[in-house]
Amino acid sequence: MKRILVFAFLSLVIVFSSLAQELTVDQIIEKHLKAMGNDIMLKVNTIISSGHITRQDYMPLKIIRMRPNKYKMEFDMQDITAYQAYDGTNAWMTAPWTGNMEPQVLTGGGANDMKSKAEFDVVFYQWKEKGHNAELMGKEDYNGLEVYKIKLTQADGTIEYYFIDSRDFILQKKISYRKTRNGEMEVLTMYSDYRDIQGMKFAFYTESLMGGQPYSTIEYETIEINTKLDEKVFSMPTE
Amino acid sequence: MFREIVFSKYYYHKINLLMKFNLNLKTIIVIFLFVSNCSFAQQVLEWRGIQRNGVYPEKNLLTSWPEGGPALLWENASMGNGYGSPIITDNNIFILGETDSICYLYALDLTGKEIWKSKIGYEWVYNYPGARTTPTYVDGLLYVSTGMGIVSCFEASSGKEKWTIDMQKINGRNVRFGYSESLLIDGDKTFFMPGGADTNVVALDRFTGKILWISKGLGQIPSYCSPLMIKLPQRNILVTFSKNALLGIDASDGKLLWSQVQDGEGDVQVNTPWYENGYIYYISGDGNGAVKLKLSDDGTSITDVWKNKKCDNLMGAFVKVDGYIYTSGYEKRYYYVLDEKTGDITDSVKFDRGTINYADGLLYLYNEKGHMGLFKPAGPKLEKVSSFTVTKGTKAHYAHPVICNGILYIRHGKSLLAYDIRVK
Repeated sequence: MKRILVFAFLSLVIVFSSLAQELTVDQIIEKHLKAMGNDIMLKVNTIISSGHITRQDYMPLKIIRMRPNKYKMEFDMQDITAYQAYDGTNAWMTAPWTGNMEPQVLTGGGANDMKSKAEFDVVFYQWKEKGHNAELMGKEDYNGLEVYKIKLTQADGTIEYYFIDSRDFILQKKISYRKTRNGEMEVLTMYSDYRDIQGMKFAFYTESLMGGQPYSTIEYETIEINTKLDEKVFSMPTE
Repeated sequence: MFREIVFSKYYYHKINLLMKFNLNLKTIIVIFLFVSNCSFAQQVLEWRGIQRNGVYPEKNLLTSWPEGGPALLWENASMGNGYGSPIITDNNIFILGETDSICYLYALDLTGKEIWKSKIGYEWVYNYPGARTTPTYVDGLLYVSTGMGIVSCFEASSGKEKWTIDMQKINGRNVRFGYSESLLIDGDKTFFMPGGADTNVVALDRFTGKILWISKGLGQIPSYCSPLMIKLPQRNILVTFSKNALLGIDASDGKLLWSQVQDGEGDVQVNTPWYENGYIYYISGDGNGAVKLKLSDDGTSITDVWKNKKCDNLMGAFVKVDGYIYTSGYEKRYYYVLDEKTGDITDSVKFDRGTINYADGLLYLYNEKGHMGLFKPAGPKLEKVSSFTVTKGTKAHYAHPVICNGILYIRHGKSLLAYDIRVK
C-alpha cells in the first residue's frame, strides 16, 4: 500500500511539473522575440537584403526597409527591373511587363498589402497593443522538430498561423491566406538557413507554396544593417 | 565522333565558290587542302557551331577546373543587352547587342577589343530586352536578325551593310518575346520565318536579300527556333518550328513536306532539332517534350519512334553523345539523361536548368543561376566534375556558351567573357 502511495505521489509530481513547464502563448512569443534578437532590432534603422527570387525565372531581388514604415522592393521581371514601394504615406509600383513603364499609385487592397509589408517591426512586437490576438493551438511535428502552432488574429481580422521551434523559439514556417482570382488560397512559407547578424537572426532562404504547389524561393546573399539611406529612395519617381 | 568533323560549312562554301569557276574535282581538292592548311584554328561561324548542335570539335581542354573556375582572359562589358552568342572567325569575334532600343553588330578582335560596330535596326525591348540571336558568317559576309524582324547582311571586314529587309513589312507577325531566329545559310540562300499567314517562311538570295520563294507552311505565327538543314541525296530539308508545329520544308522551293503539330497550344518552341542517321530528335518544353522521329529515306515523311513529355527543356538545347541525350528540365530544375533508343530518363542531377554543350569528351552546363558546370557524360549517368559561378555581366544567364580554340566564351548580358580552358 505504501509503495502504491509513493508511486501515485511521484506520478502526480511528474504530471504537475510537466504541466508547470508548458508555456503560455505570451511566454512563447516573448521567448521567440528574444531568440530572434528583437531587442537589438529595435535599435536598427535600415535593413537592405539582396539576393534572388526564383519563381518562373531566377530574378535578382533587393528589399530596402527603413524604420518605422518605409519599404521598397526591386526585382527583375522578364529581365526588366520593377519596383514596389511604400514611402510612409503612399504605396506605388511599376509593372513594366504590362508594357507601361510609368510608376502607378496603389490604392485599396494593394496599398494595404504594401503598408503591411512596410511595418519595420515584426508582427509579434507589441502585439497586444496593436490589437492582435494570439492563441496557442498546441504542438506539431515539422520535419522532426517539435513546433508550437500559434494562431494570430490581427486587428483587421487577418488570420495567420506561426510555427515556432519549441527548443530555440526560432520561426520555422508560417501559413497565411491570399485572395486570388480562383478564391482564397493558402500560402505556406518555410524559413531556413538562419544566420546571426549582429545578434539578430535572419532566414537567408525561404520557400513558399501556394495552394500546395511550389510558388517561389528567395535566397539572400547579403543582409546589410544600418546602411545610411536617403528617404527619397522610397518616393515615387515624378519623371 | 564529332571531333572528326572536318568539313565545316566554312569549307563547304569555299568549295561551292571554286566550283563556280568550273575547276575539276582534283584541282579543287588540291586547292582545298592548301586552304585548309593555311588555317589550323577552329572557327564557330553560326548558332551552336557546325551542325547547330552545340558540339565543338576541340581537343586538349581541361578535364577539371581549379577552385573559382578557369582563368578569365578578358571581359568586354560594352556589348549592349542581349542573350545571343558570339561567333568566332580566324581573326574576329562577332556578336549582337542592344542599346537604347537599337540592335548593333559588334566586331571584336580575338582579345575582345572592339574594331567596329554597325547599327542594324530596332531591337525587342518589351520584355527580356536585348538582342536575341547569333550572327552567321559565310565567306566574308555576316547575316543577322533582330527581335523586331530586321534581317540584314553586312561585310565582315568593314561592317558595311549590303542589304536589309523588315520582315514585318511582308506581313510578318511578331510574337510575345520577339523574333529570335539565328539565320541559316544553305548555298546561295538564307531563310527566315516572318510568320505571316501567307508569308510564313521565306528564302532569300543571300547576296541581294531578294525573296526566292515563300512558303505558307501551316500559316502559324513564328516560334523562336533557329532552323536545321538536313541534307539528303534527293533534297535539302529546312526543319524548324512555327507556333506549335515542327515543319519540314524543301529548301529548294519552299514546299511543305511534312509537319508535326504539338499537343496543346504552347507557342514557345526554341530548341534547334538534331538529325543523325535518318532520325530527327527534338525537345519542345511547350509541346510534346522530347521526341524521336524516323525520317523517310527521301525526306518526304516522318514517323514517330518515341516521345517523353517529362523532358520539357524550353530553350537550353540538348546534346546527344554515344547513345544518350543530355538536357535540362524546365518545370523541374534538374538536368536529365535520356536513353536515345527508348526516350526513358536514366538519370537526373540537381543543377538548376539551362544550356548544354559538348567538347573534348565533357559536357558544359550553364544554368540560369550563372553556375557553369563541367560534367562527364557517363552513359546513362551524368557526373559532376567542376563548377564555378559567373559573377560578371548583367541580367539573366540565358546565352549559350561557345567553345573555340580552347577558349570558353560566355555572354552574360552586356559582358562577353573569355575563359582559358586549354591544357597548358
